[in-house]
Amino acid sequence: MAKSEEIVYINSEGKRVDGRKVDELRPIKIVPSVLSRAEGSAYIEWGQNKALVGVFGPREALPQHIQDPTKALVNYVYRMATFSVPDRKSPKPGRREIEISKVSGEALERAIFVERFPNTTIDIYVYLFDSNAGTRCAALTAASVALADAGIPMRDLVSACAVGRAAGTIILDPCKAEEDASDAVDMPLAIMPRTKEVVLLQMDGLIGKEEWKKAFELGIKGCLQVYEIQKKALKRKYEEIAEEEEKTIKQIDKELKKVEKK
Amino acid sequence: MRDDIIWELRSDKVRELIKSSQRLDGRALYEYRPIKIETDFSKNAHGSCRVVLGETDVIAGVKMDVAEPYPDTPDEGSITVGVEFMPMASPVFEPGPPDQNATELARVVDRCIRESKAIDFKKLCIEEGEKAWFVFIDIYVANDSGNLFDASSLAALGALLNTKIPKLEDDKIVKDEFVGKLEVAKRPLLTTFAKINGKLLLDPAIAEEKAMDARISIGTTEEKLMSALQKGGPGSFTQAEIEQCIDLAFEKSAELRKLLKVE
Amino acid sequence: MKVREMQGRLVIPGELITTRRMKLGPHVFVENGKIYSDTVGLVKIERGSVRVVPLQGKYMPKAGDVVIGIVVAEEYSYYAIDINSFYYSFVPKEEIKIPLKKGTIVSAKIVKVDEINAATLSDIRVFRGGEILTISPVKVPRVIGKNASMLNILKKGTGCSLMVGMNGRIWAKGGNIELLKKALAKIERESHLSNLTLRVQKMLEEEKKKGGAFGKK
Repeated sequence: MAKSEEIVYINSEGKRVDGRKVDELRPIKIVPSVLSRAEGSAYIEWGQNKALVGVFGPREALPQHIQDPTKALVNYVYRMATFSVPDRKSPKPGRREIEISKVSGEALERAIFVERFPNTTIDIYVYLFDSNAGTRCAALTAASVALADAGIPMRDLVSACAVGRAAGTIILDPCKAEEDASDAVDMPLAIMPRTKEVVLLQMDGLIGKEEWKKAFELGIKGCLQVYEIQKKALKRKYEEIAEEEEKTIKQIDKELKKVEKK
Repeated sequence: MRDDIIWELRSDKVRELIKSSQRLDGRALYEYRPIKIETDFSKNAHGSCRVVLGETDVIAGVKMDVAEPYPDTPDEGSITVGVEFMPMASPVFEPGPPDQNATELARVVDRCIRESKAIDFKKLCIEEGEKAWFVFIDIYVANDSGNLFDASSLAALGALLNTKIPKLEDDKIVKDEFVGKLEVAKRPLLTTFAKINGKLLLDPAIAEEKAMDARISIGTTEEKLMSALQKGGPGSFTQAEIEQCIDLAFEKSAELRKLLKVE
Repeated sequence: MKVREMQGRLVIPGELITTRRMKLGPHVFVENGKIYSDTVGLVKIERGSVRVVPLQGKYMPKAGDVVIGIVVAEEYSYYAIDINSFYYSFVPKEEIKIPLKKGTIVSAKIVKVDEINAATLSDIRVFRGGEILTISPVKVPRVIGKNASMLNILKKGTGCSLMVGMNGRIWAKGGNIELLKKALAKIERESHLSNLTLRVQKMLEEEKKKGGAFGKK
């Protein structure tokens, strides 16, 4: 293993270990409606991270004693496949997965109109099949697209992105190598983009207020870029069909005119 | 739940159609649904493969690990197959430990590969009685639209075929460094038939699984040997039917093998 | 953006529709005087009121809706009926003259929906034979069309007897059911595009001309 001091986190051209600029996200691809048996679903590739999300609900929360007569429960389950990390993970969920599930579910609860669906549960299942830092943000981003795909009423999407520090520089969307820097700070962040309300916030590392503020503001910018990608992914699904059908529609219009003339 | 009710209602239709050798989705009796295979799906895995069979979607990943051999086979490594039904795979799956179905599926896929001798366990031995490679094959079911057996065995073999053996240094795996590919000497695959109203059909889709009386999965290799047999469901098969399935399994698994390109 | 320009636009949850004051229809909400969509759908503005026609979503039971249910259980004094919503509806046996079985398909009218969205049913009618097709509940209005225009085209084009439940279930009997399935798939896929009725009609006519794979037996 290379020692972290040997790694040049930012080179003379201002580029990072994977060639990105300090404020650049990794490539993100989102595809909604990929699983037929879930009520809503999405697939995401975020750099090396790959995740599938399936959504069910609102459906009756069972057993009955968990029901809340004032709102729907948001049950978020985040899991990593055994082979998705460098060392094989146990198939049993660990403490990390349980914590991420909790904070991510709470982040989405703020966006969903849960009060319209008393006594029900909205189940969101996310599985990671490959990973390289930032999986909880990729998962949450895809989950919010899957919720929209399921037609669950929401105030806004939830867009997530991590921001961090490596070798004294604030960087957007850190990769694994950067997370291992000796002075690393890692701050996963999720917002509702319209109001910029923060719905998920965690942080690892040691940082002062001024530097934190700079990181936070860069993180918000990142989330807003993620939002644009989510928006495009959701709209693309319908626009593609529209383009395909445009020709047919034009043809029908022509024929209609002919008929009218007669 | 909801869509399962609808599938069950369609059971009558499936059973009616099959009398005239027709299927709900218009397929011939011995025809697979369209298959998409994506190998090297996960970079962190040592080998991986995603298989989409019709709408059934499974992802298999392999991790190699070093451990002490079992006392009764001190000069051998081994394989382990695990199956996890992801809760979004069907409205009726619940998160939790593998249920009966997942356990059966894992064990049949395991036998199909293990008994074919596709992997020579002796070659997995690093130091007799001390350490050997153990091959963990974990299969995740993302969408259950029927015939998880064939989809899972295809994904497992696909993953094994692109599995790389990690480099060892002081008995520890060196990340991202490999010494070669895992030797896979055979191409074992499961081929599954359902029996409905006395008729046999290949690759049952979900509606057909709800309607079937019995199911038979046959593990075959390209040498025309069988490495596993598994009958499931409450119905039964005659000897003639089993023999017919075996002949068809040799023929149909060959079609699947062609889809597995080896680099 | 002008209100007129928003007409028919594809929006996602949280997307701004207008800053003007308008009457609120389904699937929109107001925050700080602005109107937003709560779902993926198309903006519809009619007579000073704005709503979003969703492209996805579950069935929300409404009083007055006619739905198609499936009997899922029989208990001592009632039947449990699945109406493709949040809960089963329970119907006392004394309200139904003929005995029902698990798997029986019925139509029913929703007479009441309580605060947790559970529906009370009445006017239970049993279907004999036929089969159930499904479509996303949000697309049911498109299957019916204005003044039942789409429904009539479907009936005429396929020769099927049809009954459309507001809960996304369609009972069909006789006629060319395979062709009906094809037409429903087209509606499901293209429900957000204009001239849908015409396009479905054209498709049905063409299939009839071909008479091939889906021709009458």
